[in-house]
Amino acid sequence: MYKFILPLRYFLKRRITHLAAAAVALCVFIVVVVMTVMNGLVSEFKDKNHDFVGDCIVGTDSLVGFCYYEDFLSELQKHKFVQAASPVVKGFGLLTQPGTGQNIGVEIIGIEPVGFCEATKFAQTLYYHKDKPSDVFSPTYNPALAGCVVGIDMISGSRDGAGKYHHGPEPLQIELMIICFPLTARGALAKAGTDLVNSKTVYYSDDSHTGLVKVDARTIYLEFKLARELLGMAGATPRASAIHIKFAEGTRLKAGVGKIKKMWNDFAETYADRQYANLLKNVTVQSWLDYRRGSIAPMEKEQTMLILLFAMLGIITVFIIFVVFYMIISHKSKDIGILKSVGVSRIAVLQLFVVFAALVGTVGALTGAGAGCVFLAKINDMEDWLFERFGWQLWDRTVYAIGDIPNDIEWQVLAVIIGAAVLAALAGAFFPGLRGSSKQPVEVLQVSQL
Amino acid sequence: MKQLSLFLCLKYLGGKKILLLSIAAVAMSCALLITVSSLFTGFIGAIENSADEHLGDIVIGAPAAMTISKYDRLISSLEASDYIEAATAVLSGQGLLHLGKGTGDVRAARIWGIEPASRSKVTPFANLLIKHKNGTEPPTLTAADDTDGIAGFVGIGVVARPDDVTDEYDFKQVNASIGRRVFLTTGTRELKPKTIKFAIADVVFSGVHEFDKDFVYLPIDVLADKLYPSQGKVADMIQIRLSDGASPESALAVVRGIWRNFAQKELGWSNYAILLTKINTSRQMQAKLLAEYKKQMGMLMLIFGVVSAGVVLLIFCIFYLIVITKQKDIAVVKSCGLSSASVGTLFLVFGFVTGFIGSGLGVVIGYLFTKNVNYVERLISVVFGLKLWKSSTYMFTRIPNQVNWESVIWIGVAAVFAAAAGALIPAIAAATVRPVKILRYE
Repeated sequence: MYKFILPLRYFLKRRITHLAAAAVALCVFIVVVVMTVMNGLVSEFKDKNHDFVGDCIVGTDSLVGFCYYEDFLSELQKHKFVQAASPVVKGFGLLTQPGTGQNIGVEIIGIEPVGFCEATKFAQTLYYHKDKPSDVFSPTYNPALAGCVVGIDMISGSRDGAGKYHHGPEPLQIELMIICFPLTARGALAKAGTDLVNSKTVYYSDDSHTGLVKVDARTIYLEFKLARELLGMAGATPRASAIHIKFAEGTRLKAGVGKIKKMWNDFAETYADRQYANLLKNVTVQSWLDYRRGSIAPMEKEQTMLILLFAMLGIITVFIIFVVFYMIISHKSKDIGILKSVGVSRIAVLQLFVVFAALVGTVGALTGAGAGCVFLAKINDMEDWLFERFGWQLWDRTVYAIGDIPNDIEWQVLAVIIGAAVLAALAGAFFPGLRGSSKQPVEVLQVSQL
Repeated sequence: MKQLSLFLCLKYLGGKKILLLSIAAVAMSCALLITVSSLFTGFIGAIENSADEHLGDIVIGAPAAMTISKYDRLISSLEASDYIEAATAVLSGQGLLHLGKGTGDVRAARIWGIEPASRSKVTPFANLLIKHKNGTEPPTLTAADDTDGIAGFVGIGVVARPDDVTDEYDFKQVNASIGRRVFLTTGTRELKPKTIKFAIADVVFSGVHEFDKDFVYLPIDVLADKLYPSQGKVADMIQIRLSDGASPESALAVVRGIWRNFAQKELGWSNYAILLTKINTSRQMQAKLLAEYKKQMGMLMLIFGVVSAGVVLLIFCIFYLIVITKQKDIAVVKSCGLSSASVGTLFLVFGFVTGFIGSGLGVVIGYLFTKNVNYVERLISVVFGLKLWKSSTYMFTRIPNQVNWESVIWIGVAAVFAAAAGALIPAIAAATVRPVKILRYE
């Protein structure tokens, strides 16, 4: 019983232990707040990437694309673990708004709206056709016209200082011209000898807000067949750039991707003797994480760096606990001597100090975590208040594509932080505890030492 | 006697190994804050400098869908001013570049029509060219072949992609691209796409991802002829380099005056069109972004500063520990005649000394780390295969490694005072030790 009563008594009576607990609390508070916001940003960004591309992508970086995608799609559709699969063509184009003389280089993504919305969460990114994405390329003001979907950040002035986008009740009738270099299957210019380019007038039908800056600022979505025509991928042996796949519920990502890889290898082998089979060699099968690795990796690295920096600073807390315990144990020589003289073992004394350290660590960690949770719960309200009163935002929403500050606490992360704080407290207290437990009663209880 | 007491005091304090812990903690926090501050300010400074180098000091930007004709006369007027060293015209647009036969490589490009000779006076453009870097003559944009004599420069990112692991360009591939014939198409106001075939005369490598990734430079007259065939020589941007020592604010007023005069008399523009013309320093053009970076730096410094405040607690604990464990010694020296004030001051001085040594060490560590941050990054990349810095993510090929001495001073001074603050309460505790209470033997 003394193993619990004495630590509690020390904790309540010795004010210096409150200092140690406060140091732990401060460290935990900052780590909880920063890690929650950072984790939120990273996982939000990952989710956006996942929503944008689906679970698995069979595709090529080459702008020439690859053939026989329809046959592979048919293969895919035979398998139950594939919930949806949709072909996509990708290329670059020049977008011109008549009368303005303004050109902008864009990425063209040609999609079959129904299939693509089943394979990805594209429908959720639309504004006017969220509920009926099949009509996304039919402008509501004149369904007979060829429509297009533009990245939301390509529409100037649609975003206010608070980061909110504004739309009219109907899309505006905006005429746009898209110009592309059509390429042959060998990568040459398909219209060499003539005017080299394809051009087509399309009309703004909707906008897409994926939340991915580079996508929303430079992407135009066209109807699959139109895009394929413009980019020179139509013809006797039509080509596509990628197939986006969504797995059926319950399919594990790694297992699903593995199966698709095997299917693709078998498929490529079967078609090895066909015309343009060389294009199949450039095709890769990737999970969404690998496919978007280039965008996601920098954020993950920053997160890792931040964890390392906080770990370095956490060492200071370990030192504080070390010194506080050293001080307390130096002062409790008499108690140790008395305990040992009545038969308490060295291990039991060490346990006593371990319990004491765990108490300091737990109280500090819980206090810091609690304060962190309260702070996070109110962080957006505080930012709103600061913005209204002083025009101050943590991130200027006209510069960054960030909505609310992420404040969803991940309980696993919180548990890890609290656990790490308690362990840090134990680490800090271990050596002083060991030193205290090895004291001999005969030495500490002699009159000259009292 | 006092000297003996002082000697004893110094011996008690100086012999404490635990003081090294507080010195180490101060040094670590100090080094961390100096590194973070230096890297951030270096990054911000690099953005400002890159804008200066690429755009000149002041930029006159024509209103949307308008162009500046007779720009030679405007440039002459500007260069006649003492404030201005040189000016050059730019015609900008966007296009689509096909990188030659059989490559299947098409990419979106930003096009600038330039005059290489005058541009070299405004920006260090000639030094950024890979082939003509050390040439004595200004670079030219001519090619005598099947491209109708048209040659252009392209950013290094247009013809090559940095290695995924090392983030370095393959210069063999880059050099091989020089001389290649490429096609550039661009739209015009008349909705007729125009295609320009040109030879790559040189590759521009500025080390700034933004300017390397997709820029194509063509002769301004060729571009003007394609985009505005009926308007003759036109530009939509005038980039200006100021004379040495000229104040940007004063020069801005001078440029505005010259522009107003030119636009009214030579171009016959309305007051409204003149008002719509954007005349800013290149730094003003970056101001919004830079303000955000500065804000992020402030937040990071605040967070690390608060956590570093733990060092004050640590020093407090260590000094308090010394006072508690050395109460008898303090009582002895006090009984030898050292006053309470002297004992307190001694602890305080030790706090200062701890802070001074710690912050000095921190400055050295912070300086060495910041200066060698590129080697450290390379080492991590080689040892762990983890490339922390990529130009495509962080704009620059190299990590800016300039030490911010302003922040070094305030962080160093703050560390010294923080250490002294940590020692304050233990110093008071030491000063109030009563020898009669401590030294009695019962």
